[in-house]
Amino acid sequence: MPASAIFGLLGCGLLSFTAVATLIRLRRLPVRARYAVMLAAALAVFVPIGDLSVAAYVRGVTGDLSMATLVLAGAACFTQVTGRGLIMHRDKRALCWFLALAAAFLYPFALGWTRFDPYALGFGSVEFVTALLLMTLAASWARRNLIVLVVVVAALAFLGGVYESRNLWDYLIDPLASFYALAWLIVRRKPLNELSCPTASV
Amino acid sequence: MTLRARERWLRWGSLVAVAFVFAGLYVRVLTAPSPGGFVAAQAAARSASPAEPRYRAQLLPNSTAASVHSATAAEIAGGRLRAFWYGGSREGAPDVAIYTSIYSLPQKDWSTERVVITREVAQRHLQRYVRKLGNPVVGRDHGGRLCLYFVSVSVGGWAGSAVNQMVSEDEGETWSPPRRLIASPFFNISTLVKGAPFQFSDGTIALPVYHELLGKFGELLRLDAEGHAIGKTRLSWGQSSLQPVIVPRSDKEAVGLMRYSGDRPNRILIVRTEDGGVHWSPPVKTALPNPNAAIGSVLLADGPLLLVFNDAEENREDLSLALSKDFGNTWRVVHRFEGDSRSTQAPVTEYSYPWIIQDRAGDVHVLYTWGRSRIKHVRFNRAWLESRR
Repeated sequence: MPASAIFGLLGCGLLSFTAVATLIRLRRLPVRARYAVMLAAALAVFVPIGDLSVAAYVRGVTGDLSMATLVLAGAACFTQVTGRGLIMHRDKRALCWFLALAAAFLYPFALGWTRFDPYALGFGSVEFVTALLLMTLAASWARRNLIVLVVVVAALAFLGGVYESRNLWDYLIDPLASFYALAWLIVRRKPLNELSCPTASV
Repeated sequence: MTLRARERWLRWGSLVAVAFVFAGLYVRVLTAPSPGGFVAAQAAARSASPAEPRYRAQLLPNSTAASVHSATAAEIAGGRLRAFWYGGSREGAPDVAIYTSIYSLPQKDWSTERVVITREVAQRHLQRYVRKLGNPVVGRDHGGRLCLYFVSVSVGGWAGSAVNQMVSEDEGETWSPPRRLIASPFFNISTLVKGAPFQFSDGTIALPVYHELLGKFGELLRLDAEGHAIGKTRLSWGQSSLQPVIVPRSDKEAVGLMRYSGDRPNRILIVRTEDGGVHWSPPVKTALPNPNAAIGSVLLADGPLLLVFNDAEENREDLSLALSKDFGNTWRVVHRFEGDSRSTQAPVTEYSYPWIIQDRAGDVHVLYTWGRSRIKHVRFNRAWLESRR
């Protein structure tokens, strides 16, 4: 199996596991039960049933997942398993705005609205890389480190050719992260406990 | 370490990481080679075919599939053609597979078809669920290997398609495992193929593709030797153009013809480039009708451009041949392959999805869907074409 397929399946497996853990509210279970569920879920997600595993079925629908989705899913998974949050609310809000704006720029045009195709920029454009650098530096200056983390991990994965894609957009953002960011911004514009618990929301 | 010191380290560490990865991104972008123009069909490689007019039509074998569609073919070693198409119990059924057969140019006959890839094999290698297979197209890469591109769908209809590539180093006897091309940011869906791939002068492959989700428009993908999409150019936009067929005439000049699915009048669309595919003219309607159906085109070694198309606005009951001596500006219909009352009628009166190539001997081969039940092959030479002018 090629390395790109392994990375793709691991990402889809993480997403599947996070979805299950969040749905059953894993962190409410006793610690030993959480680990037992984790083990069972890992088997269920990655062990093939016939030709394909659950992760491969998910991959057939979602494709390979962006680093934004994996960072958010990884943080949510960590929270469900340990009971501790990883991401500060203001960081998450900034990332969601970043993703929502990127999606608004990317998808309508990439789906054929006009002749301009921003997706083509992701194959190799100095202007695109410079714009991303400026946004990353702005995020770093504003101490919105989650954006910096997502961009750095995405760029590393892109340079390493982790997936089949050779387009930087595919490592930065995907529709799942975009929908999630949009929904999160609509539903949770303000944290319920911003004053009492400023450290983490996921 | 104090909290402030930790924050300082974190800040500087993140800036170093940003500098490192962006240096890598800039190196990648600034050192990427440009495609350098098209590789046009080599006239010198082709000799004139005999002076005696020759025209022959025959059906390809089909011993298993109730429904076949979307033929493609390439000339292979030993004076042969290798054709591919998809077939199964019906279009979109899970049992649809990609088939192949070989035509011997001297013996003028097709071999019994065999399966190249099934849905099950494709999904096992792709490590993704695959619901159905669709259009194949075949071409050659810079190293002379046969490259087969085929559509697969995991969710939904054809608008949910993605394209896969397989490579053969022995003229199609054996194939590499399929590899998924990533060509769209939206779950990588809605990329399909119908037009023939060709080459850029830097050795990368130019693959005409089209999209069907929300919009219908054509693009030209650029693929590296490993089958990664490394660039693309938009040929059209909006909701009415698809299935581009690109015909290069020189390293800079090419014409693109497209199926039309918009408002009346229903006409074949044309686009042009004069800078090696960097920029394309906006699509305009030609004088030729198009019933929202695929077309095929080839530039003959000595100049004329041939087009196979349905010469009607509403149905696919006719299939005709048009010729242009001015690279697509004006056309003249020179022959009707199907739709003549004297010809044998297919069980379903649909003649569609033509594919046209010229072999090294100068003969022209047209393959098309014949009533959805067979693939039909028409072979003619230049002398026959001259007699139709």
